[in-house]
Parts: sequence; structure tokens; C-alpha cells
Amino acid sequence: MEHSEPTEQADGGSALNGHFDRTGKRPVPGGSGCASAAASACAPQPPRAEPGAPRPVMESWREERTRSVEDNQTSLPSLAAAYTTILRGLGEDPQRQGLLKTPWRAATAMQFFTKGYQEKIIDVLNDAIFDEDHDEMVIVKDIDMFSMCEHHLVPIFGRVHIGYLPNKRVLGLSKLARIVEIYSRRLQVQERLTKQIAVAITEALKPTGVGVVIEATHMCMVMRGVQKMNSKTVTSTMLGVFREDPKTRDEFLALIRS
Amino acid sequence: MNGHSNRKVNDTVEEFHRNNSFNGLVIDTKNSAELRQHGTSREEDADECRLPALEAAYASILRELGEDAGRQGLLRTPLRAAKAMQFLTKGYHETIEDILNNAIFDEDHDEMVIVKNIDVFSLCEHHLVPFFGKVHIGYIPNKKVVGLSKLARIVEIFSRRLQVQERLTKQIAVGISQALEPKGVAVVIEAAHMCMIMRGVQKMNSRTVTSTMLGVYLEDPKTREEFLSLSKSA
Repeated sequence: MEHSEPTEQADGGSALNGHFDRTGKRPVPGGSGCASAAASACAPQPPRAEPGAPRPVMESWREERTRSVEDNQTSLPSLAAAYTTILRGLGEDPQRQGLLKTPWRAATAMQFFTKGYQEKIIDVLNDAIFDEDHDEMVIVKDIDMFSMCEHHLVPIFGRVHIGYLPNKRVLGLSKLARIVEIYSRRLQVQERLTKQIAVAITEALKPTGVGVVIEATHMCMVMRGVQKMNSKTVTSTMLGVFREDPKTRDEFLALIRS
Repeated sequence: MNGHSNRKVNDTVEEFHRNNSFNGLVIDTKNSAELRQHGTSREEDADECRLPALEAAYASILRELGEDAGRQGLLRTPLRAAKAMQFLTKGYHETIEDILNNAIFDEDHDEMVIVKNIDVFSLCEHHLVPFFGKVHIGYIPNKKVVGLSKLARIVEIFSRRLQVQERLTKQIAVGISQALEPKGVAVVIEAAHMCMIMRGVQKMNSRTVTSTMLGVYLEDPKTREEFLSLSKSA
């Protein structure tokens, strides 16, 4: 397990720390880390799968958006029509006063809940990376997170705790929360969300280590199905020195618990 | 229709409660049946045949949101989401008579009975986004008590619909009134609305509290106070 250090890495300049398996050729961010690595591994390519081929689990943090702000306006009528169908299919009367504009409200709401698809990390981060000679842990905890379960289209909400050990570069603190927003406002699985946040920070800053812990309540388990009111799901991703050094990990976990 | 078939009916029922003494709590069944009437077009057996239309609607939603509906995680999502939505609105084909029939007992008890902290989950009818919280129910029996879980089941019937918190509170109270004819019913709901927390104003800690007081709870402030303090204890 290598440190997530830039440039001269055996796996083509990737700062991913090799701890998750890839199902396809992953694009690796260009930038200072790729000078000496194989050119093909560095060429940013959108990870679109060929039909039938397994799609890569993780999208690169530099991947193009799948949606634009203009798309939102053009998809609104069909989304509203879909919601009208749903209301009818549930046995409700879409013409009654309380439901008259519900298809439009619900469509706009759903677009808001998935606005992460129209944002790119790189837009958010470019200006807020600073050179700072700091090598102690930086933690931002209790970031409220709201996402949508991709299996049932029902909300997930909880808290994210992020910690990283800078390696000469620090990030504006709110940018950590913005990274959380971009990835959480999508149809998600909590495991993937945790990993995406960690990988984005790693690839942006090339820190010595990153730790992300998410504790969330899944309405799909609380409102339906097993109906366990108080259940919480906790996932974590530890990269770099957080993974290798138990003491660093312990310090991070103790600090987010206090 | 979820009680909206005739708005005048609501006013009539309200006036009726306000102007009558506790004897008058026996509500005219025809009027208030309308109040708690729900979408009559929803039968339990029809759920299966409605599923394909719901599925197609969800598939189209996934596409329009910019997602790849063919990826592994989303392959069966339209079906799951459709079934989930049907579950979350299953209150439409349940009625109070079905669940209460055998659980009303003659008991010579005329003190307050409170069931509190009943978890409630509903769907905002404006944004189709959940709201959830706790319900506290109190009633003063008039020779007839009800099985305690039936109060929670009544909450379930009315909450598993497209709702507005004010209407939900009233429907629960009126439902209990009709079934038991007690001296008074009080219902308080405190809920968090995801439409306010996840979007829009995005106020994380906001909570909405609504209450309905019928009969002696409406008329006698001391009774109401007793209920409120007993249901609030930490």
C-alpha cells in the first residue's frame, strides 16, 4: 500500500492508493503528477462503458458533467409528466387543490436533490488550494449530508467527518463541504459516496492521508422495509497514512467523536 | 380525495365541535366520513396492475435527471421505487373499521389515556418528499377504551398518504372521535419536513408542531394542560 504521494508511482501516477479494484481503464487526472508516468494512463478519458461492458465503479473527479443547467429547464416538462403519472398511479386526484402544482414542485425538488450531476469538482476547487507548511491533521466534522438512495429514490441523511494530513497544500475548509455536496446530491450508495469524497480530496491535494467517515440514516430502512427507526449506517474510507498508521487513524476517530 | 371533496364540510364539522358540549361529540357520520374519506380509486388488488405505469414513470425520471438507467445500481430501481411509493401511500386503501373492529372494550375508566412518541412517517403532498416525527395522542374514554396499538394503527392509516401535517393531525383526531365517542381527544404532531431541510430554505433544525383538540380538551384548559405536560416529559 503506497502513500498517496504524487508523481513517481508504479501505478501510473494515480494517487488512489490502490485499495479498490477497477473494472475498466480509469482516467487518471493530468497535472503535475503525471509527467513521468505512462501517457496513456494519464490521458483523461470519460469512462463510458461499451455496451455490455461493466462500467467503472468510480468516476474520475474530472469527468464531464452529465447534465447542464439548461438541461434542467428542458427536462422539466417530462419530469412533471412522469410525476403526474405517479400521482394517478397511486390513486390520488392530481386535480385537487393541494396536488395541482405538485408535479412541477416534485420535479424541481428532484432536480435539486440530484444537482451534483451538473457540478464539477474542478470548478469548485481550483482557487482554494494554498501552499502552507502545515503537516498536522485537519478535520472538518459534522457536515450535514443529504443524498438520495439510488435503489428506492428515498432520502438518506447524516453527517460526514473528513480529516486529512496536508502535504504542503491545504484546502479552503468550505471546499471540503462543497465536495460533500457535489457527490451527495446524486443517486448514491453510501459506500460509493464515502469513497468518492476521499478520492476527490486525494486527487486534488495529494495529501499524506485522508480519512472520511459518514454516519447516515436511510429512510428506505426507516420508513419502509424493515422499519428500524434508530438504525444508522456508518462507512469510512481511509487512504494513505490514515490507512497504514493505526495511531493516526485513532487520533482522527477520537477527534471526530469528541 | 383525502378529505378535500368539499371544503365546506370541514367548516361544518369544526363549528359543530366548537358549539357543542361534550355530549355533542358524537359526530354526524355522514359529514365527517367525507372528512376522512380518501382516494377511493385505490384498491389493494389494483396495486399490482398499476405497477408498470409507475415503473415507466420512474424510468423516465431517471433518464431526465441525467443518470444512466442501464447501470447496475439503477437496473431495478424503477420497480423498487414504484413499490416503495406504493408502500408509502398504502393508507389510501385502509379504513378505520378494518383495524378497529374487535379492539374496543367496555371499561369503566374516565381518566386520561395517553400514547406518546408514536413515530410517524408521511409524504409531503407538495414535493413528494418525506416528513417524519412523533405523534402524541390523548383521549378521555367515555365507557369505551381502545386497544393501545390501535391508536398507532390509526396514525399509520392516515400518515401513509400524500399529506399536509395540519390535515393529518385532524384526521387522526376525528378518526378516534368517531370510533370511540370519547369525552375528548387530543393529538399533537411534531415533525421535521425534509422539503424544508433538504431543499428550499434548508433549515436543519426546524420542526413543525400541529395539534387538534376535541371535546373536553378544547373546552377545559386544565385538561389540555395536563395532556401537554404529560406528553412532553423527556
